[in-house]
Parts: sequence; C-alpha cells; structure tokens
Amino acid sequence: MAKTFHCIALLGLLLGNGVALAEYSADDDGFKRPLQHLQFNPGLDQHEFERSTLGALAVHDPLESWNRRVYHFNYRFDEWVFLPVVDGYRYVTPSLVQRGVSNFFSNLGDVPSLLNSLLQLKGQRSLETTARLLLNTTLGVAGLWDPATRMGLPRQKEDFGQTLGFYGVPNGPYLMLPLLGPSNLRDTGGLVVDFSAESAINFLNVAEVSRSHPEIFLLKVVDQRATTDFRYGQLNSPFEYEKLRYFYTESRKLLIAE
Amino acid sequence: MPSLPRLAALFSGLILSAPLWAADIDAQTYGYPLTNPFEATIATTPPELRPLLPNDADIDQSDYAVKLRPDREFELPDNFWSVTKLRYRLAEQDGAAPLIFIIAGTGAHYASSTTEYLKKLFYGAGYHVVQLSSPTSYDFMTSASRFATPGISSDDADDLYRVMQAVRAQHPHLAVTDFHLTGYSLGALHAAFVSQLDETRRSFNFKRVLLLNPPVNLYTSITNLDRLVQTRVRGIDDSTTFYELVLGKLTRYFQEKGYVDINEAMLYDFQQSREHLSDEQMAMLIGTAFRFSSADIAFTSDLINRRGLITPVQYPISEGTSLTPFFKRALQCDFDCYITEQLIPMWRARYDGGSLTQLINQVSLYALEDYLKSSDKIAVMHNADDVILGPGDLGFLRRTLGDRLTVYPLGGHCGNLNYRVNSDAMLEFFRG
Repeated sequence: MAKTFHCIALLGLLLGNGVALAEYSADDDGFKRPLQHLQFNPGLDQHEFERSTLGALAVHDPLESWNRRVYHFNYRFDEWVFLPVVDGYRYVTPSLVQRGVSNFFSNLGDVPSLLNSLLQLKGQRSLETTARLLLNTTLGVAGLWDPATRMGLPRQKEDFGQTLGFYGVPNGPYLMLPLLGPSNLRDTGGLVVDFSAESAINFLNVAEVSRSHPEIFLLKVVDQRATTDFRYGQLNSPFEYEKLRYFYTESRKLLIAE
Repeated sequence: MPSLPRLAALFSGLILSAPLWAADIDAQTYGYPLTNPFEATIATTPPELRPLLPNDADIDQSDYAVKLRPDREFELPDNFWSVTKLRYRLAEQDGAAPLIFIIAGTGAHYASSTTEYLKKLFYGAGYHVVQLSSPTSYDFMTSASRFATPGISSDDADDLYRVMQAVRAQHPHLAVTDFHLTGYSLGALHAAFVSQLDETRRSFNFKRVLLLNPPVNLYTSITNLDRLVQTRVRGIDDSTTFYELVLGKLTRYFQEKGYVDINEAMLYDFQQSREHLSDEQMAMLIGTAFRFSSADIAFTSDLINRRGLITPVQYPISEGTSLTPFFKRALQCDFDCYITEQLIPMWRARYDGGSLTQLINQVSLYALEDYLKSSDKIAVMHNADDVILGPGDLGFLRRTLGDRLTVYPLGGHCGNLNYRVNSDAMLEFFRG
C-alpha cells in the first residue's frame, strides 16, 4: 500500500517536473502551440495596447502644423539633395578614407562630450572620454583612427541638451528643425551651446580653419548624414511623424537617465 | 502458396506508395539556441550563428520607382506625395544570372530588415534580387493596389504580378536566366498565389518558389496576432503603461551597464539580464508591432476608398494637417475590425461574397490545395513553434506538400531565417 503511494508520489513529482520541460511539447502534427501557455486578460479588460499608445501620443507639440511642414521639407531635401550627395560621396571615396573622416569628426565631438560629462559630474565617463581623446589624438593621428574603441573605451556622447535634462530642465515643445531633424526646445538650445563651445575651444584648430574653408563644414555635414542610418519613409507608415516624435522623445529620456 | 507473391506485391506496393513524409528536423541535431518562440521571433539568430553575407558596399543595388496608378497623385492628399509611385530595390549581378523576387511580410517595406537579409543571402549566392513591399504595406496600398483593400489574396497577387511585370519592363537589358520567387510570413502566402497566377499568365515561368513561414489559415493567424496584445503583463498598473514598463527596463539595463550601446548582440545580453522580458511581455511587443500595421492598413484603405470610417470623406488634408486624431481612431482597429468593417463589405459588394468562412477559404492556403499538391516547384519551410499557426495547420501542410515541407523544431515566427542551417537549406533549394 505504502509502496504504491510512494510510486504515485514519485510519478507526480516526475509529472510536475515534466510540466516545465513539456512547456513546448508538440501535438500529433508536431505543432507546439506557443500561445497555449500565455496568460490573457479577461475579455472586458483588453485595452492595454490602446491605453499605452494613446498615452504615447501625448507629446507636447504646440507647433505641430509648422513641424509637419518642416518634416515634409526635410523629407524632400533628403531625397533630392542630401542623399544623392551622400551617395556620390560614398561612390568616390574609398571606405578607408570614409572611416578616417568619420573618426576625425567624432574625435572632435569628444571635446563637448567631455565638457558635458564634467558638467554632469560623471567622473568615470569624464575619465574615459579624456583617455579616448588622448589616445585617438596621439596614437590615432589626430583622430583619423579610433584605437580607443578597440581598447574597450567606446564612444559615449554627451551633449548640452542631456546636461540640461540631467539638471531637470523639461523638454519644452517638440521641434522639427530644418535639415537637422527632430528636436525640442531644450535640445535646440543645447545644440547652440555645444556649437559655440566647439568653436571657442578650437580643438586641433579645426573650427578656425573651417571659417575660411567652408568645405570642411560641408564634409562634416555629409559625413554626419552618411553615418546616420535614418531615412525618411523608412517606417513606411502614414503616421511616421507621430512615431518619430515618440522615438525621439523617449530616446532622449533614456540617454539622459543613463 | 500462391498468396506469398501476392503478399509480397502488396507490401512492396505499400512501401513504394508510402506517403512522402515532411522533413522534420529534430531539435538536437538542429542546434538552434533559442528555445523560446517569442524570444526567437524578436531577437532572431545570435550574430555568430548567422551566415556570412556580402557587405552593402559590395552590392550593386539601387532603388527604382514604377508609376502604376497615375491617378493616385491627384486623388491622394498632399502629404502622401512620397508614396504615389511604388519603389523597389534591385541588386544586379555583373553578367547573366537567375533573378529572385522577394515579397515582404505583413505591412513590411521592401527595405525592411528581413528582406534586406534575404537579399544579401541570395545576392551573395549569385542571384539578381528584387525586393518588393508587401501588398499590405502603406506604400504598396497607395501606389500599386487597385482596390487598396488588401486581404483578398488573389487580388493582392494580381497587383503584385503587375508590379513584377513593370519591374521587368523597366530593366530590359538585365540578363536573366531563370525567375525564382520567395516570400516570408504573409509574403509567402502571396508568393503561392502569384505562382499560381503565373501558371496562366506565363510572364516569368517561375522555376522554384519557396514559402517561408506562411500563414495557413489567414484568419487563425490574424486572430493569434490580435490576441498577443491581450496578454496579462505583470507590472502594468494605472500609472504605468506597457511602453513605460519596457522603456523602464531598458533604462535600468543601460544604467547598470554604464553606457548605451544598441546593437544586435545587446538583445541577447538584455534577455540574460535581470531586466529580461517575460513571455507575456514579449508577446505583447510582437502584437504591438502588428497592431501598428493594422492601424496603417485600416487608415490607408479607408482614406483611399473614401469610406469615411476613420477620415471624414471631405476632410481637407494638407502637409501641415495633424493626422493624430485619425491615428487615434485607426489604432483602435485590429485586424479583425479591419476585416469586418472594410474587407468583408468590399468583398461582398465586388464579388457577391458570402460568409466569413467562405472568405477565409478563399484567401488562405486552402484555396490552393490542389495546386500545391501537384506543383513540384513549390516548397515550404515552417517552424513547429510559429505563433501565427493554429492546431491542424501543420497537418494541412504535411498532407498537401509531403516531402516538400520542412518543419524546423524552433525559431518562432521567422526567427530562424537567418540561422546558418536554414540559409543553407534555402540556397540548396534554389540551386536545385
């Protein structure tokens, strides 16, 4: 009697274990019924998608009509001018040179990143960015190569918009900037500050030389577009404007929080 | 004993006429690392197990556009200027080569990540490749679809066929030896209907047609997808929405890591971390992506056909007009809502259609059962844990395709397409 009981208990244990293992066991057709184990909300409470998405659409955007026009302007400019130029640049420039150009400008960009890391009192990040600047400017020949990333010091961009956000400055209204794309009032201000800081510091004398040689600035802009993967129309949705707005707002939040 | 030879004849007859069994790959030899179908669907194969692909810089490719519906330029509001022509991408080989058409999945663009991956795979193996948007995608609906109400598979295939003919006509000097066809997810269903259409129209005489993870019963698939956003997710309350929950997890993950680095390997690391997503959360994420597709379809179809369900018929829309109020209405329409409010009424009006069941039979793979049985050039690859299938669907494929069906034990929905074992099998199939 006791023996059979043991047997049943053992069997039960085995079966109990089996449940975890058999989570995706197949039926006669070999089908594993992946939805079978999910928990669903009761019928009257199935509005989480709607609730979340409606909430996500609430981005402060008082200039929406203007912003949308700029979005379409940017889209056309991208199609007719920017991307053809980028394609031409890619076509005539060997990829090694392209990478050198990107590295060079990103090394210059490490200067404002360092400043902003310091302003946010991020000790470790400031040290790492300083090390990057030193390594890439010397070993990497004025930043044409990026040995720092290979040594485990990846680029960590910080801009003044992030610094402002770090100290609790709110987004302000959403703005679609001509040519530059999505932004908001705070980040636009940050952009201006970073740009002035860059020309004031005049690292490697680039800012000063660019004043008499606008082609350097042009190269920087083309390089920036070439390294940015985003294409207008890429989301392939009539609601791309709304989606872009939400992605921008949330990604900035994430960058500030981190 | 005269019965012995008879018996022997019977046995040999049985053996010879034994049904051709589908190739079932067993999980041990398959070696795919992701056993969770939702994880596989979202993250796909870990980078180190993917096939070697050519770099973008080494591919001779461009985007082109065909104007198939010149009237749409005048019918559509101003802010649809970018989708009045249908764009596609062609990657050309140097000399003569076979050409392969790739049809994208539900709502997907010709340049979506899966079509891009397939392009690289086939281009690397020496094919010309044409990438096409799905008939359910926004750009296809506005620029190439005659009725702009996707869902009637034979009509969608007809639209696709015209597109393919236009593409061929735009490149008269492209040296093509054979035509092949493939599609994934809903695009696979379309590929089957296109292939059938080609048997009578004969523009391409497709040599081989590969269906990757097709829906079998379209209604089962959309019901499954609609249901995915109804999962009970822990952590959602009155003050936290689903997106906030996921973004919160991401933020904490990056904070712990020390820096933001979004790349392919990150997803696996994220799922190994403390902040990983549960099955319900992943299901909801997948469902969300499909709900956005259904919102786009419902809005676009309503607007082009002036049905007035979402956008009022005479509503003036310019480039500065906010579409947010219509987005709010459209996002409350799932696939089921789109079918009942737009697809079925159109089907009934245009084709004297009947019940929902009749519609399902007409637009699902069931409609092609005889064709699939008899046509040796078609093969199907599917997964045993695909979230778009229902019970009995694999059985239908087994009965219909026999040994031309390969069932992989893992991979979720299209998650294993970029696994080396699968990519080898795909190339092998087209190599013949």
